[in-house]
Amino acid sequence: MFEYAWLIILLPLASFLITGLLGKRLPQGGGHVAVGAIAGSFVLSAYLFYEVLLGGALGSAFHATVDGFVWIPGTGDAVEQQETAIRISLLIDNLSALMLLLVSFLSMLIATYSLGYMREEEGKHRYYAEVSLFVAGMLGTVSADNFLQLLIFWEIMGLCSYLLIGFWYHKPEAAKAAKKAFLVTRVGDVIFLVGILVIWGVFHTFSFLEITEKLELEGAAIITPQLLTLIPLLIFGGAVGKSAQFPLHAWLPDAMEGPTTVSALIHAATMVKAGVYLVARSFIFLVPPAGSGLDPPFNAILFIAAIGGFTAVFAATMGLTAYDIKRVLAFSTISQLGYMILGLGAGAWLMGTALVRGEEPETAGYSAALFHLFNHAFFKALLFLSAGSVIHAVHTNDLREMGGLGRPMPITSKVMLFGALALAGIIPFSGFFSKGEILAVTYEVGLEEPAFLLLYVAGAVTAFMTAFYTFRLWFMTFSGEYRGHGHPRESPAVMTAPLVVLAGFALVSGLLAFPMQGFGNLVFYERAHASLPLVGVPVLEYLLEGVSLGAAVLGIGLAWAVYRAKRIPAERFTATPSRAFLHEMLSRRYWIDDVYDAIGARLVAGFGRGLDWFDRNVIDGIVNAVGRGGAATAAGSDAFDRRIVDGAVNALSLETVRTGWRMRQRQTGQVQSYAWMVVLGIVLVIALVVGISWYLRVQRGG
Amino acid sequence: MIPLEYELVLSALLFSIGLYGIVARKNAIIVLMSIEIILNAAILNFVAFSSYHNDPSGQVFALLALAVAAAEAAVGLAVFLSIYQTHGTIELDKVRFLRW
Repeated sequence: MFEYAWLIILLPLASFLITGLLGKRLPQGGGHVAVGAIAGSFVLSAYLFYEVLLGGALGSAFHATVDGFVWIPGTGDAVEQQETAIRISLLIDNLSALMLLLVSFLSMLIATYSLGYMREEEGKHRYYAEVSLFVAGMLGTVSADNFLQLLIFWEIMGLCSYLLIGFWYHKPEAAKAAKKAFLVTRVGDVIFLVGILVIWGVFHTFSFLEITEKLELEGAAIITPQLLTLIPLLIFGGAVGKSAQFPLHAWLPDAMEGPTTVSALIHAATMVKAGVYLVARSFIFLVPPAGSGLDPPFNAILFIAAIGGFTAVFAATMGLTAYDIKRVLAFSTISQLGYMILGLGAGAWLMGTALVRGEEPETAGYSAALFHLFNHAFFKALLFLSAGSVIHAVHTNDLREMGGLGRPMPITSKVMLFGALALAGIIPFSGFFSKGEILAVTYEVGLEEPAFLLLYVAGAVTAFMTAFYTFRLWFMTFSGEYRGHGHPRESPAVMTAPLVVLAGFALVSGLLAFPMQGFGNLVFYERAHASLPLVGVPVLEYLLEGVSLGAAVLGIGLAWAVYRAKRIPAERFTATPSRAFLHEMLSRRYWIDDVYDAIGARLVAGFGRGLDWFDRNVIDGIVNAVGRGGAATAAGSDAFDRRIVDGAVNALSLETVRTGWRMRQRQTGQVQSYAWMVVLGIVLVIALVVGISWYLRVQRGG
Repeated sequence: MIPLEYELVLSALLFSIGLYGIVARKNAIIVLMSIEIILNAAILNFVAFSSYHNDPSGQVFALLALAVAAAEAAVGLAVFLSIYQTHGTIELDKVRFLRW
């Protein structure tokens, strides 16, 4: 039914091959090929989404498996072979259809924008090839049917992220940042891999649907509560790395060394969302099926939510002091990803408790988190691309060298304002709905489990800080006097057009919840009915929305007072030693990066040096000894060869030559001596003949 | 009729004289003449045995050998002439180019 879904992945892959192999000869490094292929994926995804909605996704769960091929055949008898075979196939359900649409749409916009942004770069074909491969990886990740396939595409994304961060590989910071991103996410990926192996050990299948089925049928017979806690935590390890959650957040701010389009596509809109997507997928473990008789692993859920909430507030504090326009956005990305994880945790708790009580599960938290993912993808891509437009104009990332850009760049400043309002969560921009929803759900859970109240407070404080640093960024960039050099100009239409489209989405993507009767219907989780955000909700919920909106307004007000109206001088924040220390701590990112560097440079490199010493002295010593032995044997053999063998040959030839010399001395050239010889020879022959015949006669006759 | 032994003795004498001339004399012309003497000794044997056996084929061989000897003498004289032109002598102990 959905066989064409394969094309969604294969089109960017084909573009990867074409631009990678032939890109150098194509105009724009094959950028048009990449844009066209991704646009094709987008059209197919949109059609797929439409069919999925028609197929019953509105208001209920829908899933279909698109069969690919058996990758690794199973073992055992015929039935077992079917069950244990590892397949490559696609899972089309509400979640993956939505993610496919979202990813392909944003990739298309950002690829279009790249045509303008990357126009003057060297090695464009490399850029477009890697972006195409990345898009194929991301689309494959969100449509994978099983954990192993997911991991493969997940690692393709990781590779592309590494390559694209290091796109300007001749810049040492970029090369270092790429290495850091690769190594730090690797920590998470290894934990994820362990989780996948544990899943195989328990279920003997990787497929999401089959795991759910087995859990439902066999329940406690197949899995212990300890394992049920362990598996989602191990999978969450992968999400922590990919989505840059504490403590593996360190790579994302550095990843801003790549081109801004890459930051927008990979490190804001899509790849970092893969971790959130993975947590959403792991709901099959967090909220086991109702009939299985298993208790939800509440400890794991609490851990996940706590990491999310802590990361949200932790990253937001670091965003307060950053001066690099892209790093501010990077910290806010980490912080917003923390929100999503928090929302998923709260949602899982909510569903779990409903399950324990035997009620119909409530999906509010799950859909709120994915709603935020959806909205955030738009407005964060918008913010990054606007930042890229600014950087394109002023050729610096430093906020202190900007200012007053509102006049020369009217479109960029307005669309970025849209993005900033959405990120801050001002009604009616998209961030307001989803962020408010997450906080409301967290509060609701907090009424049952006090730990979530703490996370709610963290979330509200984060909302305040988010609004503050977002508008600090906006005011520092666009208001006041220009502090940099040159004459900045508005970017070309190929760059502003995607910005305007995204600005439209930043405004209306939140409102989409209303015609859909709640976002829950869109990415609805199985066995739960739709929740209706803002429609028919109790007064308490309006109060909660009011709190998050109030926090945002307060943050914007403070930013206005400090950076626009200058009522409060910014120096006040560093006036006393303790405040200066706080500022220092935040700008040094709590020294965590330094600690990681120290671990990397001292501990690991020291261990490496130890191994190097061992290698040089012990291993090389052995190798050298063996080598020397070999050389000595060879020398002996050589001597034997030269002295004995060659000697014999030489002696033979020398004797032959000498004999020849002596013999030819007899050739005097004296014809008469030759004649003498002839005569003597004849006489000799006659004498012999006569002598022998006489002798024979004597013998015979007696 | 002359007995066969006389003729064979005469032939052996001629052969010995020729042999002596070849190995002992230095002048190439004399050596050539000595070779002719040896050849005549052989031809004499042909003729002697031909008359002894009453078989004329020996005389045919004798005539053939005479013709060949004439040709050979002509070639030999031409060779010596050539040697004389290049070396200025036909003394055999001076002409030593048939060596290594």
